[in-house]
Amino acid sequence: MRVRIVILAIAAVGLAAPAAARAQTERLGGRLDERTRAAVTALVDSARAAGLPGNPLVNKALEGASKGADDARITAAVRALAGDLARARRALGAASTEAELVAGAAALRAGVAPAFLERLRADYPGAPVVVPLAVMADLVSRGVPADTAGRAVLALARAGVRDAALVAFRQSVERDIALGAPAGAAAAVRVNAAERDLGLGAASPTSGPAARPPRKP
Amino acid sequence: MSEPSDDPLIARVAGELRRPVPISPDFDARVMALVRRAPPGRAVRAWEWLREPRTLAVSPLGGLAMAAGVAGLVLAGMWSRQPSPVSRQPSAVSASAGAQAPVTFVFLAPDARSVALAGDFDGWDPARLPMQREGSGLWTVDVPLAPGRYQYAFVVDGRRFIADPSAPRATGDDFGTPTSVVTVGGAARAAGGSL
Amino acid sequence: MRQDDSDAELVQRVLGGDDGAFAGLVARHRDRGIRFAMAMLGDAADAEEALQDAFVRAYRGLRGCREPGRFGVWFLRILVNRCRTRGARRRTGAMFVHDEAALERAAAPRGDDPEWREEIERALTRLDALQREAFLLKHLEGLDYEEMARLTGARIPALKMRVKRACDHLRVLLREVDDVRAE
Repeated sequence: MRVRIVILAIAAVGLAAPAAARAQTERLGGRLDERTRAAVTALVDSARAAGLPGNPLVNKALEGASKGADDARITAAVRALAGDLARARRALGAASTEAELVAGAAALRAGVAPAFLERLRADYPGAPVVVPLAVMADLVSRGVPADTAGRAVLALARAGVRDAALVAFRQSVERDIALGAPAGAAAAVRVNAAERDLGLGAASPTSGPAARPPRKP
Repeated sequence: MSEPSDDPLIARVAGELRRPVPISPDFDARVMALVRRAPPGRAVRAWEWLREPRTLAVSPLGGLAMAAGVAGLVLAGMWSRQPSPVSRQPSAVSASAGAQAPVTFVFLAPDARSVALAGDFDGWDPARLPMQREGSGLWTVDVPLAPGRYQYAFVVDGRRFIADPSAPRATGDDFGTPTSVVTVGGAARAAGGSL
Repeated sequence: MRQDDSDAELVQRVLGGDDGAFAGLVARHRDRGIRFAMAMLGDAADAEEALQDAFVRAYRGLRGCREPGRFGVWFLRILVNRCRTRGARRRTGAMFVHDEAALERAAAPRGDDPEWREEIERALTRLDALQREAFLLKHLEGLDYEEMARLTGARIPALKMRVKRACDHLRVLLREVDDVRAE
């Protein structure tokens, strides 16, 4: 009896969903039991209706399936991610790509304030912000306070430091932390060094340190 | 040297610079893993036309796998003539915006019988990306990835999910086993939609 | 790899199809290579990448090594070029790790002088790249000017001028530090 209801629910969802969404959730086939699959499909559909990408949600469900997580945990994780994606979309704008929303969701989940995402987008309309957002999230995962991480990446991005150099910055901070520096201090020191170096870019070696005026922090 | 060493300051600088410099313990293994992907004597001209790709594949392994990714870029063109028996071929590699760039994943596990890669890019299915073992217990696989941020983990002996020790950790629900993150930069092709 | 294999023998074995012999060349030349790359680039991650790139290129272009007995110098040329390419990209954060960590904790242990090393590396980053390269080839690698000219393609008078300028700048940059430290 219960099984019948579940099948009817799946059928109803299947009829209502557009072809693209169906293609996404078909990836769930065989990996989840019927009930979980139905619940996830419903979540994916309502997310798509709200303008959010379905793929990351399906990926999260598949991750749970591969790891043997139970029903409730999978649907909770998918629901939480949908919420994060929605917040990211509010902060980054409706024209954001899937990759930007995924990176933005990770940054928000890590505790970076939405204001940092908004400012990043405002500073670089039209340019992809996947890597700055990812670096923010990754710094926090290494112990840098969320505000420090947000400020640091924003400052570097405004100074013209882009993609590969931003990642190099993150790696430098990680190295410092691994060698014993407190996370927040490591990030702050590296940002100061980066800003100083960028300011020094035009200086000629013959002028020497004494000739250069002191830089405001 | 043809000149007398006149300045003790310069001599002290040189002395300090001659001290040993630390290097990653698996540096040799990584070089050999790359070396075994192509025979010597080829591809000198290929390196000359190789310019910095606009899609930056940034692996969690410091930037080391970026070099490997670049190497993969060159080799993909050559594999069409001589497929390597060791690794899988990236399906589509180019340097233009929105396209995929190969990222090399490396994991040191000398005691493992099998290692696979599972992540957002293969539906978390360990059967899709088995890794190849190099002689020193290093397991590797190349995966073409479009720009974006992907969670992943290594699956050891078909059962255990292990995060990449050298990569950032994902935040959020990981179902009890931590996962790692890799970010690929570059311009995303998709205009206002999903990839 | 047998301990008494010379570079020439290892090169010949690699060209003969023995990939594993290349590991011997890597083991022989990596420590010197990382020392140079680190002094040239100022960042450990960059230096390892440049060194790794250099080894891979050396492997692939090994037929171009006309004097296998002098693999080291031939390899150094490749490494110099890798460092030039890498150095042309913008770098952030030329500060060095142990100095920052030391600031947060106790003073550095005796017998090891990370602050001095830090000052040297900071001074090096302020040199023009070609001057730094010439300085390192001369005073770190110990090449003579003929070898340097062959390696870089520059003329000897130009190289001598670069080394001289590098030394002059380093003296200015480091003498202050030295005087303060002597107090």
